[in-house]
Amino acid sequence: MNKSPLLKKAGTQKLLASLLSILIGLFFGSLLVLIVGLTTSNIGGKGAWDGIRLIFIGLFSKSRDAAGNLVFGINTTNIGNMLFRATPLIMTGLSVAISQKTGLFNIGAPGQYLMGTMVTLMIALSIPSTAVPPFVIWILAFLGGCLAGALWGSIPGMLKAFLNINEVIACIMTNWIAANLVTWLFDIARFSTIKGAFYCQTKWKIADGTFKNLIENTKSGYIYKTTWNNVATPKLGLDKLFPGSQVNAGILVAILIAVAVFIIINKTTFGFQLKACGSNRHAARYAGIKDRANIIYSMAIAGALAAAGASLYYLSGNTEFNWHTDQTLPAIGFNGIPVALLAMNNPVGVIFSGIFMAMLNIIGTQLTKFTAYNEYITDVIIAVIVYLSAFSLALRTLIAGKKKTVVANDANAEKKPAAPPAPKDAKETTPPADAKTEKGGAQA
Amino acid sequence: MDKSQDYVIEMLNITKVFPGIKANDNITLQLRRGEIHALLGENGAGKSTLMSVLFGLYQPEEGVIKKNGQVVKINNPNDATALNIGMVHQHFKLIEVFTVLDNIILGAETTKMGFLQKKEARKKVEELSKRYGLNVDLDAKVEDITVGMQQRVEILKMLYRDNEILIFDEPTAVLTPQEIDELMEIMRGFAKEGKSILFITHKLNEIMAVADRVSVLRKGKYIGTVNVADTNKQELSNMMVGRPVQLQVQKEPAQPKEVILDVKDFTVPSKLHHNDAVKHVSFQAHAGEILCIAGIDGNGQSELIFGLTGLEKSSGGTVTLCGQDITKASIRERLGSLSHIPEDRHKHGLVLDFTLEQNMVLQRFREKGFQHFGFIDNGKVRSYAQGLIDKFDVRSGQGPVTTARSMSGGNQQKAIIARELDRDKPLIVAVQPTRGLDVGAIEFIHSELVKERDEGKAVLLVSLELDEVMSLSDRILVMYEGEIVGELDPKETTVQELGLYMAGAKRQGGMSDE
Repeated sequence: MNKSPLLKKAGTQKLLASLLSILIGLFFGSLLVLIVGLTTSNIGGKGAWDGIRLIFIGLFSKSRDAAGNLVFGINTTNIGNMLFRATPLIMTGLSVAISQKTGLFNIGAPGQYLMGTMVTLMIALSIPSTAVPPFVIWILAFLGGCLAGALWGSIPGMLKAFLNINEVIACIMTNWIAANLVTWLFDIARFSTIKGAFYCQTKWKIADGTFKNLIENTKSGYIYKTTWNNVATPKLGLDKLFPGSQVNAGILVAILIAVAVFIIINKTTFGFQLKACGSNRHAARYAGIKDRANIIYSMAIAGALAAAGASLYYLSGNTEFNWHTDQTLPAIGFNGIPVALLAMNNPVGVIFSGIFMAMLNIIGTQLTKFTAYNEYITDVIIAVIVYLSAFSLALRTLIAGKKKTVVANDANAEKKPAAPPAPKDAKETTPPADAKTEKGGAQA
Repeated sequence: MDKSQDYVIEMLNITKVFPGIKANDNITLQLRRGEIHALLGENGAGKSTLMSVLFGLYQPEEGVIKKNGQVVKINNPNDATALNIGMVHQHFKLIEVFTVLDNIILGAETTKMGFLQKKEARKKVEELSKRYGLNVDLDAKVEDITVGMQQRVEILKMLYRDNEILIFDEPTAVLTPQEIDELMEIMRGFAKEGKSILFITHKLNEIMAVADRVSVLRKGKYIGTVNVADTNKQELSNMMVGRPVQLQVQKEPAQPKEVILDVKDFTVPSKLHHNDAVKHVSFQAHAGEILCIAGIDGNGQSELIFGLTGLEKSSGGTVTLCGQDITKASIRERLGSLSHIPEDRHKHGLVLDFTLEQNMVLQRFREKGFQHFGFIDNGKVRSYAQGLIDKFDVRSGQGPVTTARSMSGGNQQKAIIARELDRDKPLIVAVQPTRGLDVGAIEFIHSELVKERDEGKAVLLVSLELDEVMSLSDRILVMYEGEIVGELDPKETTVQELGLYMAGAKRQGGMSDE
């Protein structure tokens, strides 16, 4: 009873539970670094200490000085790149979070992300910027990508709504269909087949009229950057704020969308319907809410959000897409799951957890750059965090400092006294472990 | 007067505190050997908490438990089992795909060198079922047997473990009248054998019929223990509720007016089998009357209501509501003219993870006033919900922001009733509106329904409780195997006659067409 009122709030407890998972994850990563360091002759104690410091404050690592010691300080490149990489993660995180809010598990973000990538790139590269202002192309490409993702997401949605097919299975299948479809379409699509209107007037250096970059020899297998067509997300001065980094206005768009999703979910009648269907489809139907339509809406929105992440990532103009996707699914899609999990499906929380995941990514590259360790250490950290997030209920009750969160009224007890304290959040927090196993796929 | 050795279980001065509430406040319960001791109280009075303490699910803050005069510590259900305490839960804990025998021996299997010895177990179970008249098919799968039989399996589970103290948590809630009689007989048999029974209930008839003594709890406090022989139903209900309770429904004769609901040749297919669940049913409900659909559970009443409210598609016939053909209308359109108190409050009635206030506007959130341009006006919702909470005395931990899941069953039901009655529609469909509720809540709901009737609403009541059917309705339609087999006037008929219709032993000529 000596807990402060702040600790009693559900929101605070959720936040602390997430922070606790993060901390344990980081400590576990450090432990691994320490063990590897002490048992490997060419790393040793000093190398391990460097690794541990990078895990915690790698974002602020700058270089090694002449004496070989790590130099720390504000590293604008790192911070800018972190925000850049956070952009798609926030979007796929939102995609998973909104589906969870409506009682669905969207593991189809990778496929939706791929469809978004393809449509965005095709639009951005096929409309000549000599004829249409680049910002119009940007908007068309962005919206086209979102629409493609929405359509792709609505397929499992419709299967669920009309045939009651588990959305997880449908999502996994559509993921691989997307992977192969994208490769195939990039394989066969040529500008030159779109005769007349656009291609003939362009002055681009595109070699044979395909989207595949065959000009720069080292780039074989990649699609052109959108900058070939002068299409790129504006920097809005962020490049001045974080010199030397890839950051652009995409992060601001992602944050705006996250806030919008938060408002839609929590403040609107539409969000009310989605949540009602998600928590109890039968009661929603009883109340005259169209449960099937809402399941499809939910998956379509989730798909649009994941695809928007892809659009923002590739429209930046400084990333290239490897069109050969028939063997891999984009890790960013799957990483939306831990992002959402860590944020406990709160859209605003997703902004922060997305940035945190991106930070781990940066830390990974810094580890590779400055130490004998490689970036996969951060995958272990993510795995531990995901694992702990699944236990978030236990952590939350630990923080709340009581054995069971039995609510005063013995209503539940009245019904089933001997039932073990079934965590009602269980279904929300059991996303499968493949979230992490797929990590490390194709990151440009 | 009695020596303490006569008590097989004593729970002395038990206090159990949950955040914000004293669920048990200094409660003493003493169970004699060989007696049937009823524990009576309203929903939320603390009966289940007390039993959970006895069963080791909760640890009390204060108080001791004694068995045969010795203080015992019960830390978990295993300790309780070791002390020969067994419990039949209200919702059975059986594995559906296992056979009856497997369920009974599960957790207490006889083995030889790691191999199951089912033969011995079977012999023991057969012996027990013969001795106590507990007829079960040991090789049937649990999913295939009736609820009454499942309960017998639960009872056999306790007997198989040689339990001496048997706790029954609201055992009759799911049983038909015949099954209830059988259960009473079985309980008497146990008592005669020297087993002690704790019987949690809020049904006064059952206490009067079977119990020796009764302890009453109210709002977590111990009110008293009385001998059943020295008391009566009225006294018990007053003790339980804390004020004089009207056990009889007070109402004037009905004055039926225009037809509100006109159902013609209505057919609803069944989800369970190929036959239709509702077969060519026709009836009318008038403004200003309570029309009751009576029948034994599973005779098509649920499907009839699902069909009328649009939750399931009908396959034939027409439904006219307030002059409009709604046979093909969407659920939302139908909700424009009807209130629906659903049979299953957890499945249909409430979104359990939503707050009370969100549940209060489950249908109305789209209405002007509750939303502006698609944005929900939380202030309006809050004040509306608070108004309903006050008006209908819905009790909950944190008022409008309480999660529906954390509320007691009775208050959940009150919330649904508040929501539905306040929507103020000409037809009120109430399916088992008082199921699982205590007398206080039942009295309240009955009087509300009568009030609505007097205001000129048509009330379509579906009830399995004969008492309720007889006392509340103005006109009775009996359903048997998907057909309406009789129309009765509650003032002229008897429970016995009603029972014959319900069992299909009697039917009125011409009631069932085709």
